[in-house]
Amino acid sequence: MVTVALPETIETAFDVQGLNIFYGAKQAINDIDLSIKKHEITALIGPSGCGKSTFLRSINRMNDDVPGFRAEGLIQYDDINLLTDNIDTVALRKEIGMVFQNPNPFPKSIAKNITQPLKEHGIRSKRKLTEQVETNLRRVGLWDEVRDRLDTSAYSLSGGQQQRLCIARALCIHPEVLLLDEPASALDPIATAKIEDLLLHLKDHYTIILVTHNLQQAARVADSTAFFYQGEVVEHTDTEQFFSNPKEKRSEDYISGRFG
Amino acid sequence: METNLRASERLVRKSRKLSLKNPERNGKIVVYTAAFLTVVATLAVTVFLAQRGLQSFYMSDINPLEFFTSTNWNPSGDNPTYGALIFIFGSLAVTLASAVIVAPLGIGAAIFMTEIAPSWGKKVLQPVIEILVGIPSVIYGYIGLTVLVPFIREQVGGSGYSLMAGIVVVSVMILPTVTTLSADALNRLPNGLRSSSYALGATRWQTIRRVLLPAAIPGLLTAVILGMARAIGEALAIQMVIGNTELLPGSLLDPTATMTTIITLNMGHTTFGSAENNVLWTLGLILLAISYLLVMAVRFLGARRKI
Repeated sequence: MVTVALPETIETAFDVQGLNIFYGAKQAINDIDLSIKKHEITALIGPSGCGKSTFLRSINRMNDDVPGFRAEGLIQYDDINLLTDNIDTVALRKEIGMVFQNPNPFPKSIAKNITQPLKEHGIRSKRKLTEQVETNLRRVGLWDEVRDRLDTSAYSLSGGQQQRLCIARALCIHPEVLLLDEPASALDPIATAKIEDLLLHLKDHYTIILVTHNLQQAARVADSTAFFYQGEVVEHTDTEQFFSNPKEKRSEDYISGRFG
Repeated sequence: METNLRASERLVRKSRKLSLKNPERNGKIVVYTAAFLTVVATLAVTVFLAQRGLQSFYMSDINPLEFFTSTNWNPSGDNPTYGALIFIFGSLAVTLASAVIVAPLGIGAAIFMTEIAPSWGKKVLQPVIEILVGIPSVIYGYIGLTVLVPFIREQVGGSGYSLMAGIVVVSVMILPTVTTLSADALNRLPNGLRSSSYALGATRWQTIRRVLLPAAIPGLLTAVILGMARAIGEALAIQMVIGNTELLPGSLLDPTATMTTIITLNMGHTTFGSAENNVLWTLGLILLAISYLLVMAVRFLGARRKI
């Protein structure tokens, strides 16, 4: 792969080079290179255990606390390698938000799910908090569905609504990047369509990395698609090209379901 | 995030201020202090008790073999003897017998609460049993003294003050503890376990016996052991009904004494540092050792829970 690691290339959000990740003696990511563009949706696909989630969780350093975890190489973000020891992970995760597979709202009211992180980050004004609840719920298309019951428990929402609330919660602290780990795999097709629609709207303002098992989903929303297999990136290219005319035999086998 | 700072300026850890206003630091101080005090208190009690308790052997020249095997207890006589076997036996007998009685009752009640009548069990039975856990032991003792002792005297025989009365009172006392903890253990089981068993066409009883109970065994044993820990440490209620004689009981109807009752009965009239006082500390040390063993058993079972 070509290695242009110049921080001046504004289009690149993450430039990954020679990344190796280990859990104890087991190697989960094997010397991958990957360039992720700003304000695009990059889909990471591949069979379970191929390392895509591991890679995703290394970007915001969520793997740091996993016993035996070790990462080597480069995840260049702006002018810094995110794998360096002196990264302030608290500041990093404010800037690189994450949404998980299962909706995980806090056991609080719908409104408090938005206001709590804002309060923790220093916003005190009541008016501003109320305003932010509306702004962020509107962003994910949830406002009209919940405006008259903002004080009820977030658990009273449906799965799809909960997941959109979680996205709103991730957005409210103004991240630059959104990492999504199979955000729609626990949702029905209608809720999934809403999430996908939302992602397409969000990519104007955010860099989005989406791990998914749903190939159609990758084809529908992603600008580029990276196929992970056994800890390696087999192919990373424009989504349309990837699904219509993959270069690698293994990619072709995977997308046509002829694997293993 | 509208900012002109480069990532290296935004994301590199700044040295944390050592100011008292730093909440990270304050939180750390609070939890570290709490942890430190807990450990120190436990260690201090253990060390003090060990030091006092072992004094009977190296300062008061009591033969450990005699202490653990002899039934002659006469610390205040002209020719004092210090055989504590009766009390060690009394404590163990009360604890083990009550555990044997309570384990099936408590676990059975817990199964009723969680599996047979879950809604009624949760709404009525569980709160009632939790209230029973909180009843002070002196009340159990007083009821035992007023109701149980005369009943045994008239219906079964003997003076009524007996090992049996002690066992019954302690059983009634620890039954709610064992029941609630067992119910918690059963409630903690993942619901998929029940569903998957029923989906295989198992009856309710088959599900309980073959799937739920085996899965909950570590939690249920923990419940029984914590009940035993409460039983071995109980002094007041037992003291009121067991008779407190320094005799090895020949039958369930004979009065006897336990380590705890001997400590509470004698601590008032012995002088600190005397041999008579030291042996009481030794009994305390034995109680502590037993409860350490019980807690270790709980930890061991807890670790086994991960299959």
